[in-house]
Formats: sequence, structure tokens, C-alpha cells
Amino acid sequence: MTTHKRSMNTILRVLAGLAILLAGGMALCGQESGAQAPSVPVVVTPEAAAAPAAPKIDTGDTAWVLTSTALVMAMTVPGLALFYAGMVRSKNTLGTIMQSFIILCLISLQWVLWGYSLAFGPDKGHLIGGLEWLGLNGVGLDPNADYAATIPHQAFMVFQMMFAVITPALITGAFAERMKFSGFLIFTLLWATFIYDPLAHWVWAVGGWVRNLGALDFAGGTVVHISSGASALACAIVLRKRLGYGKEHMVPHNLPMTILGASLLWFGWFGFNAGSAVASGALATSAFVVTNTAAAAAALAWLVVEWMYRGKPTVLGAASGAVAGLVAITPASGFVGPLSSIVIGLGAGVLCYLAVLWKAKLGYDDALDVVGIHGVGGVWGALATGLFASKAINAAGADGLFYGNPGQFGIQAVAVVISVGFAFVGTFVILKLIDGFTGLAVSEEEERMGLDLSQHDERAYS
Amino acid sequence: MTDLKREDKQASRCRRMLEIACAVLLATMVGVPVLFPGSVAMAQSAATPVLKIDTGDTAWVLTSSALVLAMTMPGLALFYGGLVRSKNILGTVMQSLIILCLVSLIWILFGYSLAFGPDKGGVIGGLEWIGLAGVGSEPHPAYGPTIPHQVFMVFQLMFAAITPALITGAFAERMRFSAILLFAALWSVAIYTPVAHWIWGGGWLGKMGALDFAGGAVVHISSGTAALVCAVVIGQRKGYGAEYMAPHNLPFTLLGTGLLWFGWFGFNAGSALGANGIAGGAFLGTHAAAATAALAWMWLEWIHRGKPTVLGVASGAVAGLATVTPGAGYVGPVSAIIIGAFAGVLCYFAVVWKGRLGYDDSLDVVGIHGVGGVLGVLATGLFASKAINSGGADGLFFGNAGQLGTQAIMVVAVALFSLVGTWLILKVVDRLVGLRVSSEDETTGLDLSQHDERAYS
Repeated sequence: MTTHKRSMNTILRVLAGLAILLAGGMALCGQESGAQAPSVPVVVTPEAAAAPAAPKIDTGDTAWVLTSTALVMAMTVPGLALFYAGMVRSKNTLGTIMQSFIILCLISLQWVLWGYSLAFGPDKGHLIGGLEWLGLNGVGLDPNADYAATIPHQAFMVFQMMFAVITPALITGAFAERMKFSGFLIFTLLWATFIYDPLAHWVWAVGGWVRNLGALDFAGGTVVHISSGASALACAIVLRKRLGYGKEHMVPHNLPMTILGASLLWFGWFGFNAGSAVASGALATSAFVVTNTAAAAAALAWLVVEWMYRGKPTVLGAASGAVAGLVAITPASGFVGPLSSIVIGLGAGVLCYLAVLWKAKLGYDDALDVVGIHGVGGVWGALATGLFASKAINAAGADGLFYGNPGQFGIQAVAVVISVGFAFVGTFVILKLIDGFTGLAVSEEEERMGLDLSQHDERAYS
Repeated sequence: MTDLKREDKQASRCRRMLEIACAVLLATMVGVPVLFPGSVAMAQSAATPVLKIDTGDTAWVLTSSALVLAMTMPGLALFYGGLVRSKNILGTVMQSLIILCLVSLIWILFGYSLAFGPDKGGVIGGLEWIGLAGVGSEPHPAYGPTIPHQVFMVFQLMFAAITPALITGAFAERMRFSAILLFAALWSVAIYTPVAHWIWGGGWLGKMGALDFAGGAVVHISSGTAALVCAVVIGQRKGYGAEYMAPHNLPFTLLGTGLLWFGWFGFNAGSALGANGIAGGAFLGTHAAAATAALAWMWLEWIHRGKPTVLGVASGAVAGLATVTPGAGYVGPVSAIIIGAFAGVLCYFAVVWKGRLGYDDSLDVVGIHGVGGVLGVLATGLFASKAINSGGADGLFFGNAGQLGTQAIMVVAVALFSLVGTWLILKVVDRLVGLRVSSEDETTGLDLSQHDERAYS
């Protein structure tokens, strides 16, 4: 009886909520339709032809950016979700998948409602975007020449959305197997709003101060990888270690799942890097080639170092190496040639391997090596961009140290320090705040039971 | 003696129902265009578009075709495969795989002609395009003026393939393999092709102005209704309600969900048949609705049952995707968010209430695709806006109440047609090969009994 009453109450509450939503939506809908300028037939006259060409949608560019958007979406779910889920113990599989999945949902809404406006909206003091584009107000189907002159503005927005989604999802590897679901939700929302959005504005938006310095970040070495890597470090330090860390043997429960995830990451990374040309042409092709090359070189480098150091080349090692190479090439992908990408990849394989190895000596429990791969790989990639960038590859970029412009290396170093510092301190503060409200880690009993049962009341395998 | 009499009575009742069903079927196919003559009389738009292949549009529709393929195989196959017990996973994966193969051939040989061939009385396409005769690399004015006709055809093929594959969730773990082959072939020809023709191929619903951007009625209502009939006619699984039938591998299901979501970008944004603003808008609407529906489902489940489940958010995302499908190219992002919220809530209750109705729709095809499809088609009648897509129409909230009525007619026509038609097909298949596996085979599992293989060794 009481359960029946409760469920009736629930239904009533939900229906009331929906009615409010509907009413609010109706109001917004009117605004939405108003935002669309009625199409005016254009009469082509010689004078009109002489004027600066109005942005015009190119179907090839649009096709490629939409495809890339789908590819980057597949990096988070199912790619990253399975990559991480295979590495945890079987009692935490669903909890781990859930984190990537719910970030995809949550940040997609956050980005539509206010995230995109904060990150890419009209610049305010070089620090943050304005609120003019809240709820995608004014972000329509006509191109925005500041960001991508040949595709609908919404296509650029949704492509950027997938980047905003994957970045907090990367961090989840640091607090795997022990984070409370409610605390995790709040963390994600706060982190996206107060760390990702400003950082994306600084580096990529017109008027952002790091962009104005001349720092190069083609597809998110600083915005995505350094920021998530530095935040992962903060998470691993603030959250307690997993129970039995260092004593119990915590082996990945399903490595084929991890390999499937790593492959989907590699597959999706073509959209991530080559899509960041926001056009289909020479630059996208060049980025595509160096992305693949660096991933291959890094996987091989990791393999060789591991073989020499530990006696056997592991499959997890090859997968981690490939991801490290993909991370490192990300900021450089639109600025360097194929031979440079081999060097970047080899460097990533070796450096990230050593970083993961040394983690144990430092004592923090970065469960799935976010710091070692995304943090270290991201820093290496951002600095390597300052070494290997060449105007011969991308005239809109800059020359690096090896092409006679040592100043670029300095600028890249400044961008690295800023991103690491901002992300680390900001994440630390957010975590401390949440710890005061809902708490961060699950109870010890819940942790022993596993996240699947304790947080979601389900089992992955029956 | 009395037994014989009862059997006799049953047989005659069966026959009478068959007759009634036939009559209703005929009435919907022939009667509706007669009842709504104005709709059929409405001519196509006067302006003939310029037929010229655009490389960007072609690249996008080809990519979208591959994306929609990935929805059926491996997407749906693994989504369903993870939800069944481990003894049935191969049988379940096999259903999606073999339907993909079977319907692909049917579509090329005559399905496409029936669905999209030259219109015959608003009811069905002609046989002029059998074996793709005349369907070449030149664009067709109505079916994507900037892409080769065959590209449109293959894109549509993927829709024809996934629709019967969706139904398989209703009779999971208990249907005979030979019966599935026969059912899928008959259903595809007798139900899918006419419905696709009515709405997209120049048939009576399309002429009436019914809006279905990417298949809310053609794909989701038709499969959701068929699933309901299948669940009722085929009956419950052995031990349903008594035994615990937990999904054997939820990570598979999540992988399937991810691939469905990924492929749905091709399904909806590809339905713009070009890489343009409408494709961009449909892409965004699709994503926003899926994300909202998953969050709505999670939140509801959290307050209603105490814990947010992973299967719940996966189901919510699919519900949002199914629901936004008919409206994707006609509504703005805020409308898509509202549609997604309603999808998450209504489909959640549909799935929860299934238990009270007693039929065994094993993998919730009715609750998600049926309810989501109906909701989405009606919502399109509310939220559609010409400011988003000048080729569409305004909905009720944009001052055109009539659109909602047109959408409602489409819901009723498609649901009724699929309901009756599916019932007839199941009866025929039952008579010919039998629908269900034997009780013993069901206990053994489909993998061993139907395919003589084990999934895991």
C-alpha cells in the first residue's frame, strides 16, 4: 500500500516537473524560432560579389565535421567506457562504464545550456565567454566565421561538445573503484563549468589570453589532456587509496574489453585530431596521417622498453602505448609532419612508460594511469609542438624551435604551466568542497562489495 | 467428443478472426486513401530541383549508411545479446545478423521497388525498379537531388534491415530459427515496404503532410506494435515471472548502446540526405534528446527504486533516440531536450507497467520503440517549426494545430496496419513451420538447440 502510494506520489511529482519543463520550453521555443533569421533571397549583383563573401556552407567540410563528431562521441562511449571497465575488477565494471556514460549525458546538456557560451561565447576580458549564447541562443545553422566559416555553427558547437564530454570522463580513471556516484555527478558538473569551460576559452576562443600569447594547441593537448591529467593527480591525492592498494593484486578483469576500448579510442581519435581542422582537405589529411603514425610509434616504443625492462611485452602495454602516442600528438597534429610525429610518438611511449612505472614510488593511487598517460603525454605533446611545429605544414601555425623559432617553445612551456596549475588547484578546491557536502569516496563496506552492487544495484555478469 | 467440438469451435473462431483481420488490413490499405482523397490529390512540389551530384552530400550519406549498418550489426546484436541469458546469446546475435543479410537481398531484388518505386494509388510502389532496374548513379529528384540514386537506396536499405531486427527483442530466447527467417522476410515485404511507401515513397500519408523525418512511424511504431503482437501470440518464456532472468553480460549491452547512439547520428542526421544545416540540427537534436532521456530515466529510477541502474540509463538513451527520430530534422535543440525528457519518463513507466499487463516483451521493444515512437510522432506535431526546416511544417506550438491531427492519423494507421499484419504473418508462419522451439530446446538454450554452438568455452 505504502509503496503504491509512494509510486503515485513519484508519478505526480514527475508529471508536475514535466509540465513546468514544457511551459518553460514553450517560452524558449518561441525564442528559438525567432533566433532563426528568415532566409532572404539574395540578388547577385557585381557590387555584392565584390563585398566580402558571406560565410557559405561547404558540404564536404560539413560531412567531415559531422562524421568526426560521431567518431569523438564513440571515443567516450563505448571507447573509453570499455577501456577503463576492462581494467577494473569485475565487481566495478558497471560503475566504471556508468561514469563515462553519464558524463556523456550530463555534459551534453551542460554544454547546450551554458557550457558552450562560457567557453566560446563573446569574450569577456580574455578570461571567459559571455552569457549571450546561453541555451544556444544565436547559435544557429549559419556558419560562424570566427570558428569555422564553412560549416553550420551548430556543427562546430556539437563537435566541441564531444571534447567537453571526454575530458572529465578521462579523469574518472584516477578515482576508479571508489568514488561515490552522487559526489561524482556534482564533481563532473562543477569541473566542467569551472575548469574546462574557462580553459577552453583561454586556449581556443577568439580573445582568449593563452591563444593571444600565440600558444599552439591543435586538438586539445592542454585543454583536454593536460587539464584532465593534472586534475587526475589532484583526485588521486585527495581521495583515499583503494582498500588493499599495494597489498592485494588488482589485475584487470577483462583485457579484451580494454583492447576493444583502446581500438575504438584510436578509431575515434581520427575525428578528434583530423576533425579539428574543421574542414575536409589538406590539413585534415596531414593531421590524420600524423595521428596514426604517432600512435603506432608510441605503442612500439612502449613495447620495446617494457620488453627490455621487464622481460615480456604485454598487450596492456601496447594498448597504453598507443593511447599515450595519441595523447602526445594531439596538440601537434595540425602543425607537424610525419617524421616529426614518429619522434613525438617514440618520446611518448618511453616517457609515459617511465611515468607509469614511477607512479608506484610516489605512493598515490591513480588507478588507471590517467596522470602517467594523459598528464605526462599531454605535457610532452605540448612542448614537442614548440619543437617540431612548422609553417610549411600549416601556414596559420608557427615555426617551432627546430625550425628556427625558439620563442615558440617558451610560449608552449608557459601554456603548460598555466594549464597544470589552474587545473590542479581548481580541482583540489572543488574536491574539498564536495567532500564537505556529500563526501567523495564510498564507505569501506560498499567498496568491498563493489560499485556495481553498492551504487547501482546490478551485476555486470550473471 | 467435447474436446473435438471445442477444437472445432476454436478453429472456426480462428478462421473468423483471420477473416476480420484480412478485412481490416484491406480497409487500411485501400480505404484510407479513399477516405482522404484530398491527400492523394495533393501534387508534388512544382519546382524541379537541379540534379547534380555533390561530393560532400554523397560522402555524408555514404558515411551515414555505414553508421546505420553498425546500429544493427554489431550495435543491436550486442545490445540484445547482453540482455539474454548466456545460453541464448548466439541465437540472439544471429537474429540481427541474418535479418541484415536477408532483408538486404530482399530490398535489392524487389523491396526497394515496392517501397520507393513509382507510386500506385498512394498505397504501394510499382515493380518498375525490380532488381534495381533504373536505380543507377544518377540522382532522383525526390530522393536526394545531390546524391546518386543508389546511395539513397543503400541508405534506406539499412533502415529496412534494422526494423525487423528491433522486433526480435520481443520474442527473444524462444523463437525457432526457421520461423524467424520466414517471419522477417514476410514482415519486411508485407509491412515495412508499404508503410515506408505511405510515408516516404510518395504514398498517401506523405501526401497528407505527415512528418516523419527519420522513421518514428516507419521504423519505431511499426516495430514496436509488431513486437507487442509477437509477445502476445508467441507467449511467455518458460519460467517467466518465476525464474530470475538477469542479463548475462551488461557490458555487452552498454557496448551495444554506445554503438546504437553512434550509429543514430547517421540514422537521423543522414536523413537530411546532405551535409547541410538540417543535418547539423538533426545531429544536435538527436544527441540532446538521448542525453536528456537517459538523465530523466536515471533520476526517475533513483527516486522510484532507490538506485540509478546502468541498464536504466542505457534504456533511457535508446528511448530518447527512438523518440526524437521523427522530429530530428524539424525541431530545435530546446524542443529536442523537452522531447527527450518526456521520452525518458514515459518509456520508464511503460517498461515498469509491462509487468502488470502480463505479456513477455522480453527486451522491452514495446515500451521503448512503440511508446517512444508514438510519443515522438505526436511530439513532432507539437514542436515542428518551419524556421528550423522550411521543407517541413509548423506544429501545434507554432500555430498549426492541424499538424497534430495529421500526425495522429499516421500513428493510428501505422499501428493498426502493423498490428493486424503482424498477427496474420505470425499465424501463417505458425501453420508452416511453428513459431516456438520445443520446451526442451528452450531449456537447453537457442545456442545449442538452434545452432549447435556455445558462445563461451
